[in-house]
Parts: sequence; structure tokens; C-alpha cells
Amino acid sequence: MSSADAIKLADVEHRYGDVTAVGPVDLTVPSGEFLVLVGASGCGKSTLLRLIAGFEEPTFGTVHTSGSPPVPGRGAGLVFQQPRLFPWRSVGGNIALALKYAGQSASTADVELLLERVGLHDVARRRTWQISGGQQQRVAIARALAVDNPLLLLDEPFAALDALTRERLQEDLRTVSATRTCVFVTHSVDEAVFLGSRVVVLTPRPGRVALDLPIDLPRTGITPDELRGLPEFAALRAEVGAAVRSRTEVTA
Amino acid sequence: MTILSAPPALSADPSPRRSAAAPKKRRRIALRLLALVVLYGLWELAARTTRNPTFIPSPGAVWHQLIQTSTTHDGVRGYSGSLLIEHLGISLRRILIGSVIGVAGGLVLGVLMGVISWLRVVTEPVVTFVRALPPLAYFSLFIIWFGIDETPKLWLLSIAALPPVAVATAAAVQGAPTGLVEAARALGAGRWEVVRDVTLPNALPEIFTGVRLAVGMAYSSVVAAETINGVPGIGGMVRDAQRYSQTDVVVLGLFAIGLSGLLIDALLRTAENRLIPWRGRA
Ligand SMILES: Nc1ncnc2c1ncn2[C@@H]1O[C@H](COP(=O)(O)OP(=O)(O)OP(=O)(O)O)[C@@H](O)[C@H]1O
Ligand SMILES: [Mg+2]
Repeated sequence: MSSADAIKLADVEHRYGDVTAVGPVDLTVPSGEFLVLVGASGCGKSTLLRLIAGFEEPTFGTVHTSGSPPVPGRGAGLVFQQPRLFPWRSVGGNIALALKYAGQSASTADVELLLERVGLHDVARRRTWQISGGQQQRVAIARALAVDNPLLLLDEPFAALDALTRERLQEDLRTVSATRTCVFVTHSVDEAVFLGSRVVVLTPRPGRVALDLPIDLPRTGITPDELRGLPEFAALRAEVGAAVRSRTEVTA
Repeated sequence: MTILSAPPALSADPSPRRSAAAPKKRRRIALRLLALVVLYGLWELAARTTRNPTFIPSPGAVWHQLIQTSTTHDGVRGYSGSLLIEHLGISLRRILIGSVIGVAGGLVLGVLMGVISWLRVVTEPVVTFVRALPPLAYFSLFIIWFGIDETPKLWLLSIAALPPVAVATAAAVQGAPTGLVEAARALGAGRWEVVRDVTLPNALPEIFTGVRLAVGMAYSSVVAAETINGVPGIGGMVRDAQRYSQTDVVVLGLFAIGLSGLLIDALLRTAENRLIPWRGRA
């Protein structure tokens, strides 16, 4: 195994009781890659992410991150499909907790800065149920980004957001991901091609690799609109879209 | 009986834009006041018809005792040398100390029971056993062990207060929501950090219910604790008054215990709302 591999799944299968949710999957993610997972609902995307985060043990096969079995909270930031904020802490308190666990300073200014990164102002003192669902999800993203982990795992983080905020956060995510390895789950083909340096389409349950496509698009010195306007962008989007559609129809 | 059939607060509201909560609240207050008046009337009636103040003292006699026990008269200070408020204060102090010890012990035990499974297996039957015992049953044992001064009383109240908190805490700690535990672990929390930052705050609403039960237990046990060498103390006062057939003092003592109990429960409820704003939101 090359030490440059941020994630390595070897022959991984995961079962919940009798139900095989994932696998077998072989997947190697080199350091610095932005991998996007696409697939129908229930095909095992979240399960795959949980395996990489160390919250699930594979039933068969092995999972390694940076050369060893993953341990939750070590070296990976994780955004769950649900915000999972702590209601007994204020919005800012949720962010501060992440900093505290990492042994970093958690001053009000630090927390404000992190919240502003996801476009939130003047919410630090609110209770978590006093902000909208989309805002809660952004707090969850800020919480996961608070600490500089080499690996970032995101499970449909932008699903609950309006188009404008989503585009802004996609842009921001491309910036912060420059120095990290990312695994990003989405249902949006456009988002997959826009963000990913590589897109993997999964089959319906049990999730297996149906399509593994490198996305060779320029990443620097180009605006989002210019990127989306490239003919290559349209071609890649069509290819991924076709794979997703053919894969979803098989089950239907 | 026309008063009973007319809901006075409801019809008296002229403003249509006022929220529905205000007339409802006023109606509740009116109903409670009405119930009090009715009870008072029944009591007065019962006292007059029985004409036996040792059996049922009149409200006036109890009121008179309130004055007597709260003042120094004919060189006698209150009842048995202490004013009513002092009797009550000493009992409340015992309840406070007993509750604090019991709640603290119950909290520690409950967290350990909830987190360490073998400990739960060992201690659960013991806690349930003690919980099932009437406090008076083990009071005799404490008297033998600790004599008749403060110590056995405080032990009694502490032991009475401990099980409700321990049981509530243990149950709540076990029921920590997986999603939030995982969220904390994903941020790098260790085992005890998860307990401190997720399990305990999540359990707090139920723990608080346990605390209110515990204080209630300590409250109802204080009279038992003061049956022996309980003066000064409101339980001791009631006990002595019973011995001398001073029924009016007994009733006065009951009122003092009951009303202060209501007050303390209201205080605890207020504290709960302040301290646990996320109740029902987790
Ligand atoms: N804890 C569990 N116990 C039993 N079955 C589960 C559990 N979690 C997931 N599954 C099943 O495993 C399969 C994969 O679930 P998973 O959550 O990984 O799907 P997903 O691709 O993330 O779906 P979605 O896009 O809807 O989020 C589903 O069929 C689901 O019903
Ligand atoms: Mg999912």
C-alpha cells in the first residue's frame, strides 16, 4: 500500500443483519483527491462513508485511512446527513466544542470566523432550534471544518440549502478542499462534476462501483460560471447522468 | 350553585386579539380560588357540626395557633421554645442537606450504573430494594447505628432521596442518542468527554425529574425522621402536639409542611425551565 493513499477499501462488504448494504467494493483514494459518490437512495453511500469514518466495521474486507484502520474523530472531519447539533449548546457552543476537543483556542472571535465561513452571521448565541434547517446544516459543516483534518467526509451536506447558498458553499468547499482529501456524497450530478476530481457512481443496493470517472477540468483561474460553461463539463455531466439513470432504472 | 356553572374569566375577556392562553390561565386561577373557598367552607361546616375541636379544630383555632406559635406569649416562645418558622426552618435545613447528599450520591451512582454495565447488574437490585422500603423501616437501624441526634435523620433523608435520582439518571444515561454520541466522537471526543458533553446534558431533563421526586421523598420522610428527638423541627412539633391532643397545632404543622412543599416544587420547576431550555428538543 502506498503511503500516499488517503483511503483504501479492499474487497469491502457491509451487512446489516441479512441485508447487504455495500459491496464488495475496491476503492483507493490518493491523497488530495476530491471523490464524489453518486447513487440512488438506499444504495449504501452513507454506509460507505461511515465505514471510512470508522463508525462501522466492514463485515468482510478491510478499510484503511492513512495506512491504518479508521478511528472516529482521528484525522477526519465528518458531516452527517442530518445536522446532529447538540441542543444543550448554543450554535456557537457547538463550534467551540469541536475546537476544544482539538485542543485549540475557542474564543468568540474564532467561532464567529468559522460561522462566517459558511455564511452565517449573528447566530452564535442562538439556540440550535432557533435557526432554520439549512442554517443548522451549515453549522454542522462549520463544526466539521473547524479543525484542519487531512480527510473530510461529507454526506449530502448541501441537500437542504437554497441554490444560491449551495453555490457559494460549493465554491468555498473547493477552496478548503485544495489541501485535503475529500469524500462527498450527493444526488446532484451537476454538483458531482463541479466539485469532484473523480466521480464514482454506485449501483443500487448492494452498492458497488458502477462507474469510476476522473474529472479532468481546470480548477484554478476559472470562475464557477466559466467552469460550468465548458463543453467538457457538459460532456462529463451527461456521462455521469447517463450512468446514474441507467443504474436507477435497473431496480425500478 | 350558580357560581359553579358560570366560568367567570372566560366571558370577561373583551379583546379578541388576545392569545387564548390568557383567559385559560385566568380561568384556572379562578377555579383554584373557588376550590379553596369551597374547601374552607366545608372545613368550617365540619368543625361546627362535630363540635369537637380535638377531632376537627376550626379554621379559627388553627389561625390562633399560627399566631401563638409565631410569637412569644406569657413568657413562652412559640411552641416548645421555638417559633413556628424556626421549626420549619430546621426541618427545611434537614431536607436540604439530606436532598443534596442523596441527589449527589444518586447522580454519581446513576452515571456509573448507566455507563458501566457490570456495575448496573450488581447495584440495580439493591437500589430497587431500598427504593421499595418505607423510610421508617430503616430509620430504626440508623437509630441503633448513629444514636438519636442529627446523624440518623440526615442519613434517613439522604437514603430516601438517593434511589429516585439514581434510577432516573441510570435510565437516561443508557438512553443517550446514538446520533449525537457519534457526532461528538466524530469531533474527537473520548469516552468520558462523551459522557460529560452528550450523555449527561441529554439526561438532565430526566435527572431533574428524579431530583424533584427525591426532594419529595425527603419531604415526606422528614416527619418520620423527626418522630424521635425531633424538636425543634416541624415533624417533632406535630408529633408532640399529637401526644398532647393539640389537634390545631397538628393541622397547622401539616399546612406548614404542605405549603412549603408546594413552594419548593414551584422553585424547582422554575429552575428546571431556566437550566434546561432544550427540554423536549433533543
Ligand atoms: N442501521 C441500519 N440497520 C439496518 N439497515 C440499514 C441500517 N442503515 C442502513 N441500512 C440499510 O442499508 C442500505 C444502505 O443505507 P444507506 O443509508 O447507506 O443508503 P444511502 O445510499 O445513504 O441512502 P440515501 O441516499 O437515502 O441517504 C439501505 O437499504 C438501508 O435500508
Ligand atoms: Mg445516506
